[in-house]
Amino acid sequence: MLTENFTNDAIDIDSLPKYQEIVLKKPHVSYWKVICINLIICFLLLGIIAAFLLVFNDEIKPYLIAVVSAYIMLLICFFVVFWASFRKRGYAIRTQDVIYKDGIIAESTTIVPLNRIQHIELNEGVLSRMFKLGSLQIFTAGGVSGHLRIGGIPIDEAKSIRDLILNKLDSTESVETETNAGE
Amino acid sequence: MPVNNDFSKPQRQSATGIIVIVAHGSFRVIKALIIPIIIAFFRTTENKHYLFLGLLALLIIAVIISYLWYRNFTFFLNKQNQEFVVNKGILNRDQVIIHLEKIQQVNINQNVLQKIFGVYGLKIDTAGASGEEVVIYAIDEASAYNLKEHLLDRKTNVINETSEPVHRPETATPVLKISALTLLKVGLTSNHGQSLTLMFLFFIYLIQEASHIMDLLEVDDGYVENTVMGLATLFSVAIIVVVLLVALLIINLVRTFYKYFDLEIGQHKHSLILSSGLVAKKNTMISPDKVQITKHSQNYFQKKLNMLNISLKQANFGMSKNGKEMQGNTLEIVGCNKIERDELLHMILGQVPVKGKTFIPDWRFLNLPIFFKLILPLAIFSVVAFNVPEIKPLIGFGFAYFIIGAFMIYVSYRRHRIAVNQESIIKTSGIWDISNEIIMPHKIQAITASQYPWHKGVDVGHLCLHTAAGKIRFKYGNYTEIKRLVNYWLYQVESGNENWM
Repeated sequence: MLTENFTNDAIDIDSLPKYQEIVLKKPHVSYWKVICINLIICFLLLGIIAAFLLVFNDEIKPYLIAVVSAYIMLLICFFVVFWASFRKRGYAIRTQDVIYKDGIIAESTTIVPLNRIQHIELNEGVLSRMFKLGSLQIFTAGGVSGHLRIGGIPIDEAKSIRDLILNKLDSTESVETETNAGE
Repeated sequence: MPVNNDFSKPQRQSATGIIVIVAHGSFRVIKALIIPIIIAFFRTTENKHYLFLGLLALLIIAVIISYLWYRNFTFFLNKQNQEFVVNKGILNRDQVIIHLEKIQQVNINQNVLQKIFGVYGLKIDTAGASGEEVVIYAIDEASAYNLKEHLLDRKTNVINETSEPVHRPETATPVLKISALTLLKVGLTSNHGQSLTLMFLFFIYLIQEASHIMDLLEVDDGYVENTVMGLATLFSVAIIVVVLLVALLIINLVRTFYKYFDLEIGQHKHSLILSSGLVAKKNTMISPDKVQITKHSQNYFQKKLNMLNISLKQANFGMSKNGKEMQGNTLEIVGCNKIERDELLHMILGQVPVKGKTFIPDWRFLNLPIFFKLILPLAIFSVVAFNVPEIKPLIGFGFAYFIIGAFMIYVSYRRHRIAVNQESIIKTSGIWDISNEIIMPHKIQAITASQYPWHKGVDVGHLCLHTAAGKIRFKYGNYTEIKRLVNYWLYQVESGNENWM
């Protein structure tokens, strides 16, 4: 048991490892391509629907310019927002926790201690697989909000991270049972 | 059924309770179809006996289905794997397996029907990721308590069986008992907001229903509106307000008495036992380690009367099947005084937490609420008011709204704080009801720190602690301090291997 009083802790805090000083790894550059392709597919579908409406619906026809400009604006907005959020993303695995930074406007850093992870998932989308990327999902008991989804990790790295975390989970569990047995 | 049954063999629910199950099933069917039935009843003018025939058929089907459901519902305890297994389903057989260590609480209830037939209902809440829960509708009393013991006393149950007879909750040492007088005070001083919305909804419902029924009876549509308008003019506004207030208090009292009558808390081995209820007595057993967030709250009146309400929040991750967050994972204890609160906190947390170093938010906390709750609505209101002459006289209300709103936002800013020490984190917030949410650092599941780019220069940021029972947020704090705290909590969570549940 820790028995120091708070003033001792205050000194401790500054000597503790600082999460904010960890250099975060960026998602792989090809992940931006994956995002772009996804966006383009979405916008193509949207464009087809809009085109159909423009051709076959007489009521919308007069608003051709408005529809097209709205479409282009939306396109630019999406690309800008996704680019901004792509630039902000970063992740790091420490011996005791996983750090993930993201955000569109606000920058938020979420840290999940390894001994609180419930399970992890490695997902490979069709597009991601073409670029040899994968995304890791880390689930905690903290519900939807305490759940990390790290996209755009090179697949080999993602697999090794997964194995590392799984090993860690196994070892902490066995330590826990040992200490329980010792009590 | 012998009392010391260890539930190791699959068994059905209590045979006398079959009526309860059938009634419950039929009731559910009828409840689901009540509106179509009523409409059909009003619409059909001839051949009403066909309608009754149909209803009868429906009832028979409900009875048959309920019976089959009873036949196929079995449960047993697998000691070796520490599992509770339930088999159910009529056409497709489902097997629900619950690990005993995932069980959060076991409720034993008795509704009116169950009371008549002398059986109890037993509900098991779990922390499983799928949010599965199990309800046994009919089980006799001894078996119910026996099963509860078995479900909650997993590690020591072998020893218990030989050394101790079956415990009834009455034998537990009582810690706290809330008297009727205290309940009266609680009813008068709490849940004002809830009652208000409830009454408002009820009123809307009443008007709607009235016009609906009138529609069916083919009465002139304007009649209802006329009556309502007539009533409104009949009573002066003052009388209506008084009536509303009295009604509100009465609703509050009834609700409080219905839910918390004879509230008793006892300690039994390592679990807390809560029992309360006027018509149907509810009996809940939880183990203190499973409580994630302990919250106590108090408003101005309650402070004067020296009483407060405590709620214990347990893990609620996992969604139920229809995508809603799982309900019923919060236990409320109303009307205890400071000494009783400290005793309860001691039981749950192992100590009475003291407020450590307190952090307060930056004044920028006020910006967003002032903009979105005051300036924006008032701007829209004034634009409307200057263009619509009918609304213009109401502009005084706009001023009142601004002053009250500004005051409330300021109060919420003053109350928003977080106190941290080695063993606990206490988040204070609220405007009227001031609540203190207490968590222990090892209950943290994940931590998020966030900052807007324009706050970088002034070093302001936000903090969110994710726990299994919800989030604790601290907004607009000093970001350097927040980062220090995050590092400290990470150290606490990662260095200790305390179990969070």
